[in-house]
Amino acid sequence: MIIVIGAGPAGLAAAEAASRNGTEVALLDSASRMGGQYWRHRTKVTGYRSERGDQLFAKVRAADSVTHISEASVWSAHREGDLIRVNYLQGGIESSLTAEKIILATGAYDRTLPFPGWDTPGSMTPGAAQSLLKGHDVIAGKRIIVAGTGPFLLPVATGLAEAGAEIVGLLDAHSPLRWSLSPRALLENVSKFSELLYYARLLRKHRITPHFGRAVTAFADGVATISTIDSDFVMKSGRSRAIKADVVAVGWGFLPDLSLGGILGCAQKVDSDGTVIFEVDQNQLSSQPHIWIAGEATGIGGADLSLIEGEIAGLAASGQKISSSLFRNRARKQRFADALKRTYPVRDGWRQWITPSTIICRCEEVRSQEIADSVIELGAEDSRTSKLFTRAGMGLCQGRMCSRNVSEIVSGITQCAVTDGERIAASNRPTAAPISLGQLADGKNSL
Amino acid sequence: MTQTISFTFNGATIECEAGQSIASALINEDQRELRRTRFGDEPRSIFCGIGICFDCVVVINGVANQRSCLIEAQDGMNIESAQ
Repeated sequence: MIIVIGAGPAGLAAAEAASRNGTEVALLDSASRMGGQYWRHRTKVTGYRSERGDQLFAKVRAADSVTHISEASVWSAHREGDLIRVNYLQGGIESSLTAEKIILATGAYDRTLPFPGWDTPGSMTPGAAQSLLKGHDVIAGKRIIVAGTGPFLLPVATGLAEAGAEIVGLLDAHSPLRWSLSPRALLENVSKFSELLYYARLLRKHRITPHFGRAVTAFADGVATISTIDSDFVMKSGRSRAIKADVVAVGWGFLPDLSLGGILGCAQKVDSDGTVIFEVDQNQLSSQPHIWIAGEATGIGGADLSLIEGEIAGLAASGQKISSSLFRNRARKQRFADALKRTYPVRDGWRQWITPSTIICRCEEVRSQEIADSVIELGAEDSRTSKLFTRAGMGLCQGRMCSRNVSEIVSGITQCAVTDGERIAASNRPTAAPISLGQLADGKNSL
Repeated sequence: MTQTISFTFNGATIECEAGQSIASALINEDQRELRRTRFGDEPRSIFCGIGICFDCVVVINGVANQRSCLIEAQDGMNIESAQ
């Protein structure tokens, strides 16, 4: 049997591929419905090429050898002899499953940067606005600014506009002209142009004009400060204006969730954009035997790349032949993913948007000044030491939101680049999901 | 037809459709503030929306630190802001 963890594009593709030769698959996911964040729709999947989601759902549901275990939040995994035991919480009850092989497809979440007011209600990630809309049929606000960087801002802004929200700003820190840095990736992924046209038509329909080289640098009392920034994200003086908005949805690309693979000892590396990801071989096999990894955790690349990686992992784990065209497709999508990172890098200038009183660690309410003090007065030289002095990163989210930002802030003060070792250490945590001691102590169901 | 259910939030009755998360039901009713912070007593709402950031945690039927963005509202739930 194979346990697939995560029922987004990569996990669904893996489960479907493995089921082709009748291999038993347990597909675990924390949500009530399959689809992950990309296809998290409550009723019908909508949006660009949404039929792919429906087709995959239908295949996975029709496969007798695939069991979908929903609302199962995996909090840890470990080896037991030749087996891997996966521990999960379902409806407050701790359960576990064992299998010879597992495929991790745990996805990603929005990367965020702090700015004054980012902790106040109304400030959220584009992913949050998207999940409210797609998953729950709720529009996050009335006058919404969508900002940050990257192509994900397009489906969010157009989706909200289609649902009836007024998009009062669509701001990307980078110019799309930066795509000219990656001509090959563009030429061999021409299908992306039709996706762009799809969104361009929706933008025109709703009279939304995207602006480039701008960022939301403050939000308070229903007013967002929009600043013109240079290519290093440094604010240009005297080039800010105020816009009334009840929601600012700001995101800076994505960070993968590495917790489970980290717990299982899968080797990690730092990607070209500073993001920590897993090392995998050409069959998506991690450094650990019988553990395959697919999707965002092997490099942020979006649903297209995740679908192919998932299919390869599913075929490899179930001992089926993998066609050379799949490998070629993956290489092509990977070059596109690399081009995305080259086009939309997060630059250091954001560190000047924050003020001494800006919250950096949302959980423990640690302010920028406290982190600066931990470096200047207490001698912290990295995020780990700063965390011990300030508690930044010690809250319920286990540093998922702030640890990378704390590293960058400390690095800005010490003038020492963040090391790969620090990036990897800051991306790992002892449990993948919170579990209470009471749940650990009783109610265990083992299979 | 979706079924309408109701729950209480800090004593007030909130109606929503079955299947909606607690946070989405509250935001739909313009109830943005889901809790106040421990140290600064600052208001917080939904942030990541997918269960990563824990900013939207509430107390559900007496159990603390429950992520309101993930958990579906159930008829008769008693929900309170975390402190």
